[in-house]
Amino acid sequence: MRIVILSSSIYSETACALALRVAEAGYVPVGALALRTLDRGTVLRKLGQWGVRGVTRYARNKFLPHRRDGQTLVSNPYLEPVLKHRDGVFRSLREVAASHRFPVAICKDQNAPESLARLKAWSPDLIIFTGGNILRKPLLEVPRLGVLNVHLGWLPEIRGMSSPEWSLLQNVPLGVTIHFMDEGIDTGPILQKYELHDAARSGSLSDLRNRLIAFGIDKIAEVIAGLDQGTIHAKPQSDLDRDNQFFVMHEWLQNRAARRLTTMRLPVDGAHG
Amino acid sequence: MTDFDAAVPEKEDRGSAPPSFAAKALTEATGLLRAPQRVFPLIQKLASDRVRTSFEQKHLYSFATTKRSSAVTLDLLLRWIFTAQRSDDGIAAYYSLLTGYSESYPEVTGYLVPTLYEYARAQGDGAAIAAAERATNWLLSLQTPTGAFPGGLHGREQEPSVFNTGQILQGLVCAYRETKRPEVLASAIAAGDWLINTQQEDGSWSGPGAYQNAPHTYYSMVAWALAELSEQSTDHKYGAAAERNLDWVLSHFRASGWVDGINLRGHPNYLHFIAYVLQGVLECGILRRRTDAVHAVAKPAWVLLRKFETNKYLPGAFDSDFKNGHHFTCLTGNAQMSCVWLRLYEMTDDLRYPNAALKMNEMLKQMIPVRGRPGIAGGISGSYPIWGRYQPLRYISWGCKFFADALMMEQRLTQSFETSALKVLPCAS
Repeated sequence: MRIVILSSSIYSETACALALRVAEAGYVPVGALALRTLDRGTVLRKLGQWGVRGVTRYARNKFLPHRRDGQTLVSNPYLEPVLKHRDGVFRSLREVAASHRFPVAICKDQNAPESLARLKAWSPDLIIFTGGNILRKPLLEVPRLGVLNVHLGWLPEIRGMSSPEWSLLQNVPLGVTIHFMDEGIDTGPILQKYELHDAARSGSLSDLRNRLIAFGIDKIAEVIAGLDQGTIHAKPQSDLDRDNQFFVMHEWLQNRAARRLTTMRLPVDGAHG
Repeated sequence: MTDFDAAVPEKEDRGSAPPSFAAKALTEATGLLRAPQRVFPLIQKLASDRVRTSFEQKHLYSFATTKRSSAVTLDLLLRWIFTAQRSDDGIAAYYSLLTGYSESYPEVTGYLVPTLYEYARAQGDGAAIAAAERATNWLLSLQTPTGAFPGGLHGREQEPSVFNTGQILQGLVCAYRETKRPEVLASAIAAGDWLINTQQEDGSWSGPGAYQNAPHTYYSMVAWALAELSEQSTDHKYGAAAERNLDWVLSHFRASGWVDGINLRGHPNYLHFIAYVLQGVLECGILRRRTDAVHAVAKPAWVLLRKFETNKYLPGAFDSDFKNGHHFTCLTGNAQMSCVWLRLYEMTDDLRYPNAALKMNEMLKQMIPVRGRPGIAGGISGSYPIWGRYQPLRYISWGCKFFADALMMEQRLTQSFETSALKVLPCAS
């Protein structure tokens, strides 16, 4: 199975952890295509998302040498076991690629003709999306099987943004959905849904999000193996005529969601095909 | 082209040719010669909006946030309204950066009355009650023997206007509810009777009294006022007239959510008027227990919500079917949409509505100047940027009204959430 990873930045922890996880499962990526980190739009987007303090902390973690006090510099602590190596942690896709010998390309736009040419040259069976641009049809048609996405919510119930938070307020199980992407927002065929058993242990919404990201990365290897062996098949989503799209949650509602998180008791459950 | 009169479309130009754009622009510009002290605030506002529009970055994850509380903003808005109350006790239509305060505007004075009483109730502010009572008395003095109220700015227009009468009726019904003064009810009934007498068989209003002599779907606001009068007077004929108009307006809703029949010749479909249609239909539908009306409004409200959430702003005007959004923002229309979304939440329990409304309110809060001369501080401009097509270079009283309404609805919502257990809610759309 030839796998390519799409990332919003070569410094994306999620992309690094995912590349390591699939490599560990025996599917070393044939390439990774990341957006340019110091692109004006990306920097401004991150500033909006994390604030100045968050961006500064991120930049310090990525660009300054490791501290010597034994503390690691991973923003999502649940990814640390995957990112850890003998001398520290993997901090960029370049480091992961060097360790597992696959090429990394940088681009300004994942949908641009030169990006498509690069992707086609890798002739992937599967592309795994961890972030970047809204993908257009020509890119979605490049891989033989499709482009995989790990959505941090239950589909088709919660599409779009702030999925964990909306799941809490809508009383939808907390978990991830691994699905093929299409031109809609989280409307592509579903491969597998997994409920996060211990979501109630999350101390905060960001902790919950971190858990879900790590959980999704853990499960994606299972789905890739299933696709490879023909044991998992994509099922088109039901309810497509219903507008289940959610948008970035306002802080005031986030506080309600956080309150719900602290009072919830989740049932133990397993995978849902 | 800039339209200096677009905000007051009820002002009719019967009997004389409308002044050209150049003539209107010239009249406005000469205001600066009369009061050169307005030059600095004008330049300051133009520059700040230029800077803001050049540097603001919108992306999928962002929404405007501000540290300014809703209570402080609400107070600023009400201070602006108090200051805009003229010596005749009517409230000015706008403060122009070129010409200063306009004359009192009966229509807006009328529908500011419910806002003033609501604010007084929420904040225990006696000044708001006094302002509402003065405004009501002024309105009573304007009513014609037929029961109608004149259109346009005070002193400029004496012809009866359906829309202005409907908007003023809303204020009179509220004033009666608050004060139980019989003369206020009598005035409201006279206005309601005139509206029924001038209503067409199909439920619309057209001909003399209607703007440009044509029927308009945004006259659903008149239907809302009649439905309010029906509740207060317990005379069902007003409710029946409201429903006749409601049915006529509902027949103009397209499957796409677009509503035909705004019908303003020479003006684009400003968001302000689209939102008027939705507010009128929604509120009238709620009062008349017409779920079909609430469902009909949910469609265009959702189309606009998606546009706002995706693009982080709403265009100030649209072509038919919400196409070709114009590149400016009509802040009043934004505030009205916030009201519509908050009301739809109350009707549907869909939390995506208050989510959008809260973000819209945050964005609008950023647009209110905290400091500045009277007429500017606490005001809300017609357009953002201020040179946008809707009410350019003006701070408008109905913008303050709708944003104050939206903030008071937000406060009601947040307080009800705090006092009740968090509900588990289905999505409605």
